[in-house]
Amino acid sequence: MKQLPINILLTLATCRLTSSETVGPTPTPLAPVSTLPTNTKSVHLTGDNKIENVELLNPVNLSLECIWTGNQNKQPNITGYWRKGGVDIQDSRVPVDPENQQYKLKRVFNIVSEEHLGNYTCVFENEAELNFILAVPRIGEKREKPIVSYVGDFVVLTCKMEDNKPVPRTWNWFKNNGTDKEQLFEAQRYDITVDGRNTKLMVKDVSISDSGVYHCAAVYNISTSTSKMQLKVITIWEPLKPFLGILIEVVILVTAILIYERNHSKKKKAEANGPNADSKNTQPQGEDEEAEESTSIRQRKT
Amino acid sequence: MTDRKLKSQSQEDGAEGPDGGWGWVLVVALFVSTSLVFGLMRGLGIFFVEFVQYFEESAQAISWISSIGLAAQQFFSPLGAALCNAYNTRLVVMTGGFLSGLGLILASQATCLVHLYFTMGIISGLGWGLVFTPMVATVMANFTRRRALAVGLGFSSIGLSSFAFNPLFQLLVETYAWRGALLILGGLSLNIMACGALIQPECHSKASTKVDSQSRSSRPDLLQRVSSYLEVSLLCERPYLTYALGVTLLNFGYFVPYFHLVAHSRQVGFSEYRAAFIMSAAGVTDIFGRIASGWFSDLGHFRVVHLLTLWTVLAGVFIMLLSVSSWTGSYAVMIVISLLYGFCSGALTSMVFAVVPMIMGVERMMGGLGLLQLIESCAGLLGTPLSGWLRDMTGNYTASFVVAGSFVLLGSLTMTTLPHYFSCAEPPPPQRPVFVDNSETLNLELGQKDGCPSEFNHQTVGQRESTH
Repeated sequence: MKQLPINILLTLATCRLTSSETVGPTPTPLAPVSTLPTNTKSVHLTGDNKIENVELLNPVNLSLECIWTGNQNKQPNITGYWRKGGVDIQDSRVPVDPENQQYKLKRVFNIVSEEHLGNYTCVFENEAELNFILAVPRIGEKREKPIVSYVGDFVVLTCKMEDNKPVPRTWNWFKNNGTDKEQLFEAQRYDITVDGRNTKLMVKDVSISDSGVYHCAAVYNISTSTSKMQLKVITIWEPLKPFLGILIEVVILVTAILIYERNHSKKKKAEANGPNADSKNTQPQGEDEEAEESTSIRQRKT
Repeated sequence: MTDRKLKSQSQEDGAEGPDGGWGWVLVVALFVSTSLVFGLMRGLGIFFVEFVQYFEESAQAISWISSIGLAAQQFFSPLGAALCNAYNTRLVVMTGGFLSGLGLILASQATCLVHLYFTMGIISGLGWGLVFTPMVATVMANFTRRRALAVGLGFSSIGLSSFAFNPLFQLLVETYAWRGALLILGGLSLNIMACGALIQPECHSKASTKVDSQSRSSRPDLLQRVSSYLEVSLLCERPYLTYALGVTLLNFGYFVPYFHLVAHSRQVGFSEYRAAFIMSAAGVTDIFGRIASGWFSDLGHFRVVHLLTLWTVLAGVFIMLLSVSSWTGSYAVMIVISLLYGFCSGALTSMVFAVVPMIMGVERMMGGLGLLQLIESCAGLLGTPLSGWLRDMTGNYTASFVVAGSFVLLGSLTMTTLPHYFSCAEPPPPQRPVFVDNSETLNLELGQKDGCPSEFNHQTVGQRESTH
């Protein structure tokens, strides 16, 4: 109880320093600085690594440290400073003295909301630098091909955060409306289910106007991570066109085969009856002969 | 000349077969229809993911669709054979093509999983059953010396179409979603009707020769006719039963690699693409195996039964080696064994069908094939779950593959007990005893004569020419 006034004072103090602009819905109020956990990221500059990804989900006091082992010049003092988003951070210039042949540059950053995320660079002036990319966990799988659905049917859009990434607090869904993103809520036609790392948006009774780009957003304390997908709605006529084409092809093929066979057998019959056509006397005999021969053949086979 | 040719043809194990000409057109028809039946069935896996997402059902519930389809195809095979014996083969195959297309078209409108079971499973399965056995039997009836090659060529379409259909189905699903894709596939299946149209109506209608199975009654009753159409009498003959048992045992193990090879490779530690490639390698040599073994067996150096035993033994050995070789962990070794396995498995497929007329004679082939499909369907249904269960019990696929391989070897052992197995020459095939009722057959034949195709007229013309 005694600590409360001190906490409030500190909160007020930090409120003046940090910008009051917040983008997007922030579900929780800003936590007091002293109760924020502290995280440290310490990286050695080897010359190969240029980027270090840092995943954050909660507001935190992040201490970033760059360690550089120097080069042949062995300069006594080097100036080091920090950049955010390409812009030099004010009052961050400090002289760096080597200790045990290592130059260390360290700074504590207060990361509480989305605008604090981004690209932080530690710079050893004219010598080396390293980028820290502070971001929320990214949604892994991206669906590049559009999801197709039919008018009157329902469609299910899903988003999943990978198992090795932290569970988001909740999920939100948005749809592109012109240049804006419009949030979708549980309504007649929309059914949103949130289940830890998975989320589903079911759009019922789909119509052509439902086509477009949809976003799913994984909400973390510090910011949200989004992924987009495209929904394409078509009528039954689309697949019907190739289907009818194939149907016509089948009908043509079958008719052609049957006609060919009829002509062929007619020709053969004409040839067979050809030699008989002159002598009518042999015809009835010929038929009996044929009948007898066919039975005899059959009997021989059996 | 023609007299002697006719005599020699009739003395050759009861087979009639012009061996060429229109027969090759029928091989093309078999090629197309087999690809539209089995190639299509194999490609249905692409719809699997879509169905799971849309219907929100478990993977097991969805996989029942293809199980029902395959089971229906094999179950209705005797029905297809019987209908061909009773009526017109062409009509049966065209009906089958229509039903298989109809099933898929109706499936595109499904709103729940049971609809899919009924349409994609039963209706299409019925259609496939009415198509496959009659087409195979017709092609085999049209060839004598080149029978195995013709059948091998026809079956090579399964492997080729799997290659072509997978990307095609993927494209269809991406463009039209599963509903549109099924609709278009239904249309494609209707092409089987064109294949069926190529079959010429039989001249010596089996109906006439079968009607007189009993000399006592002048009008045999329905049950006797049905049993003769279905060739139920075959079930009482030892050679057929032995062969059916051998094929059943074979089927226990035959499908296991197709279902589990990819999973086994992944478990050994290969990446997704490498594991899929092992499967593709087997698929490629499968195609060559079918054609090559058909061609080789037709050369006549060895008896078909001996070749069948050779390929089944090799296939069984390679199935077992598939699991054993994975202990070495070498990718190259697995690819080589997989290639060899694919070749043997394709080779034995051609032989399995080519042996059938040797055992029962060409006349009863239709019904015999139908019954065979039905009997081996049980093995196919049970074999894969059994291997899956073994895997769950032991934790890896070694036991499943070894058991599958041993079933295949057991099947080949069973086949060595066929009568006259160890003789070097082909024995004459058994004839079904037929009591000829002369007056009836004569009337029926005269009635059928107008529907005769050209060849028969040719023969009679030739005869008349030779006697003049």
